[in-house]
Amino acid sequence: MHIHKFEKIWLIFGVATLLVFLSVIGVSAFYLGNQPPSCLATINPEQVDTQAPFDKPGLNKVEGKEWDYELVFVASAFNYTPGEVEVPLGAKVKVLATTKDVVHGFNVAGTNINMMLEPGYISEFVTTFDKPGEFLIVCNEYCGAGHHLMSSMIKVVE
Amino acid sequence: MAQPGLEKRTKTKVEDSSSLKGTLASVFLLGFFLIITWVGVFLLFLNRF
Ligand SMILES: [Cu+2]
Repeated sequence: MHIHKFEKIWLIFGVATLLVFLSVIGVSAFYLGNQPPSCLATINPEQVDTQAPFDKPGLNKVEGKEWDYELVFVASAFNYTPGEVEVPLGAKVKVLATTKDVVHGFNVAGTNINMMLEPGYISEFVTTFDKPGEFLIVCNEYCGAGHHLMSSMIKVVE
Repeated sequence: MAQPGLEKRTKTKVEDSSSLKGTLASVFLLGFFLIITWVGVFLLFLNRF
């Protein structure tokens, strides 16, 4: 079969870039252990307030884990608990969030923390807060009449 | 009066219609655009927490 020289060039180029992109995703998933924020951790949405760790929303210090703090958020129409929280600069934090009613979003603007909160599921994200400042949390899943009023704030302080 | 310009024969290079030069250029243009935007988003991902 005859293939034009140029065709060979772009076929090889295309396959090579595809392999590079896929290996980046593969390394991220299987070597670095990245996973979707909602990864099969479940909770009864009607008993969120009584179940750990959601009975204590806010920043909680933990021992003997890969992260130093757990930052717990409960979302419901139309607010987040806590409505504002301070996190020490450089802290390795696991953000845990869930919703008591409908689907909400959890987007910490300007960061990689962007999760969908589904009733019955726990969304998690582990990160190191290495930049000081105020980070607005907004709901980016339309959840009802008060959707646009739904916000919270993370303050990363030294 | 002779019409000006009639004598000027412009010679245009006619490329062989089976040439794939332009195709190669546009494929790589698109390819590099995809790579640059992908790398840009990936760097943004790495720089944020
Ligand atoms: Cu909402």
